[in-house]
Amino acid sequence: MNLLESLLTGLDEARRHWGQTVLSLLGLVLGTGSIVTVLALFGGQTAITEQFLSEVGGRGTIIVYDRESSARPRARELASKRLTFRDAQYLRDRATTLTAVSPGWSEELPYRAGDVSFDGEVVGTVPDYMVINDITPMIGRYLSDLDVRHQARVAVLGWKYADSLFGRAGDALGQIVSLGGKSYTVVGVLEREEFYFAAWEDNALEYRNERAYIPISTAIAQHSATDRLDFLTLKARPSAGGAAAQAQVKSLLYARHGVEDFDIRMSGQGAGDDSGQFLLLFNFIFLVVGIVSLVTGGIVIANILLASVVERVREFGTRMALGATAGAIFAQVLAEVLVVTIMGGLLGLGLGAALTGVVAHFMQMPAVVSPFIATVSLTTALTVGLVAGLFPALRASRLAPVEALRYA
Amino acid sequence: MLIEARGLAKTYRLGQVDVQALRGVDVDVGAGEYIAITGPSGSGKSTLMHILGCLDTPSTGSYRLDGEDVGSLSGKRLAHVRNRKVGFVFQTFNLMPRLTVEENVALPLKYRGGVPRGERRARALALLERLGLGDRIGHRPDELSGGERQRVAIARALVGTPAILMADEPTGNLDSRAGAEVLATFAELHAAGHTIVLVTHDPGVAGRAQRVIQMSDGRVV
Repeated sequence: MNLLESLLTGLDEARRHWGQTVLSLLGLVLGTGSIVTVLALFGGQTAITEQFLSEVGGRGTIIVYDRESSARPRARELASKRLTFRDAQYLRDRATTLTAVSPGWSEELPYRAGDVSFDGEVVGTVPDYMVINDITPMIGRYLSDLDVRHQARVAVLGWKYADSLFGRAGDALGQIVSLGGKSYTVVGVLEREEFYFAAWEDNALEYRNERAYIPISTAIAQHSATDRLDFLTLKARPSAGGAAAQAQVKSLLYARHGVEDFDIRMSGQGAGDDSGQFLLLFNFIFLVVGIVSLVTGGIVIANILLASVVERVREFGTRMALGATAGAIFAQVLAEVLVVTIMGGLLGLGLGAALTGVVAHFMQMPAVVSPFIATVSLTTALTVGLVAGLFPALRASRLAPVEALRYA
Repeated sequence: MLIEARGLAKTYRLGQVDVQALRGVDVDVGAGEYIAITGPSGSGKSTLMHILGCLDTPSTGSYRLDGEDVGSLSGKRLAHVRNRKVGFVFQTFNLMPRLTVEENVALPLKYRGGVPRGERRARALALLERLGLGDRIGHRPDELSGGERQRVAIARALVGTPAILMADEPTGNLDSRAGAEVLATFAELHAAGHTIVLVTHDPGVAGRAQRVIQMSDGRVV
């Protein structure tokens, strides 16, 4: 009997032992289904994070924050000039891994236009900031180099503030707004920015709609006693990579300050943290369920096969008496396992895809079962099945015919 | 000689005790003979038959089957010998319950390899016709009577045109009428030139054979 025929015999046996086959299938189906779902949701989450990153300017954006002073600062810390405009200049000259450096100043100031007034964030910065953060004006323009050079009293408003102050965002252009008691001409209004990590989450980009941008030079001259900055926004050279750029910036600034009085963050870090953690837990639970189900499935398969081998030892003895070789018996048992495993894997894939669809629909998350996920989960199921089936198959094929025939 | 066995001995180990099932047996069987091996239970008749049928190997002694020394063959070669030279009939029929009568009969040809499906089918059908089971080919074993099942088993044993047909208590699980039918079948096969070796403890069954080998306590008496 050749291999193909042994395999066909096994296939036939799997069909004829339908009840057993279905039982062994269940564990595999559930296990594979869970793994598919986890991978798909995880993939969806990764995709959405990636999408958010590109929304805020893409990978490779590095932000250096001025760190709060220590409660009891040491001499070194006191000696540091902290984050200043000169640091920005220094990085622009020395940091070979960066393509753009944008100094930033930020403060909570009172806004007023006509009889509308509230407190909100005002950001002092330079034109590069717009490029780094992928900011687009809806009407008017963004800050220019000329504004910075002349300390111009101009402001670019976020969509929501423009809307709140002037009734309609489109009406803000050319109007005068008072920021911290100083008058500014509105030269641009930014596009409304929106991004939702999940249906129940708030707009992750709302903070961008709730601020005004003014030239950094104006901000320091009008609203600050020192030239201290609150943050630097940097863009890593794509060829250098974010990590390398981060390391270089850190060492350059440390050399200048003599103390680490700043924090460095990569874009994406911290963005949507809450939802990220929730999803991570979610994925973890699914993954554990998947692995447990698969292992259980494997044990069930091994168990059923072992039981059916005991049940069928005399049948194997008869087959051997008729001329079946050990190899033929082995192939037959293994084929039964393969059939069960492949069917279980495929059904599990189907279940996983359905589950993914349901979860993605109700939780409004992007999740797709990619060919990669299908391959990984099928391979896992197949491996579990084979490992579980190998032992019973070996045991069956090692029996001596006369022992098998006498088996009670 | 079809079968030439000299000094066959078989020792089993049962826990701490060695059991000598065969204590030096010489057997010769010529082509076309009809032989009954008989004796009380524990006399070693089944062990002898298993060794002659290549289901078991002797502890010592030599055994030539159809000119081939089978005492020293590997498991795979033995499977091959069982498939081509020996046809087995069991007391409990040992049919595959989930296969049809025709599939059961064709099974040895499937294990032989190289026999096309059409030929396997044709040979199975021809034998079933000859044994009067032509109207049962699509049935499952549990739809047949005991006598019919045993005749299906005989057809399965013969399908590979073996040199020798071996039967272990072939009437042991049958009522007297079905037993008589099966014995009649053996008589016909013998008349047609088949070599038959059967094991039985029933003197009536043994009496139908040409020659009786009487066993007792692991020896031929």
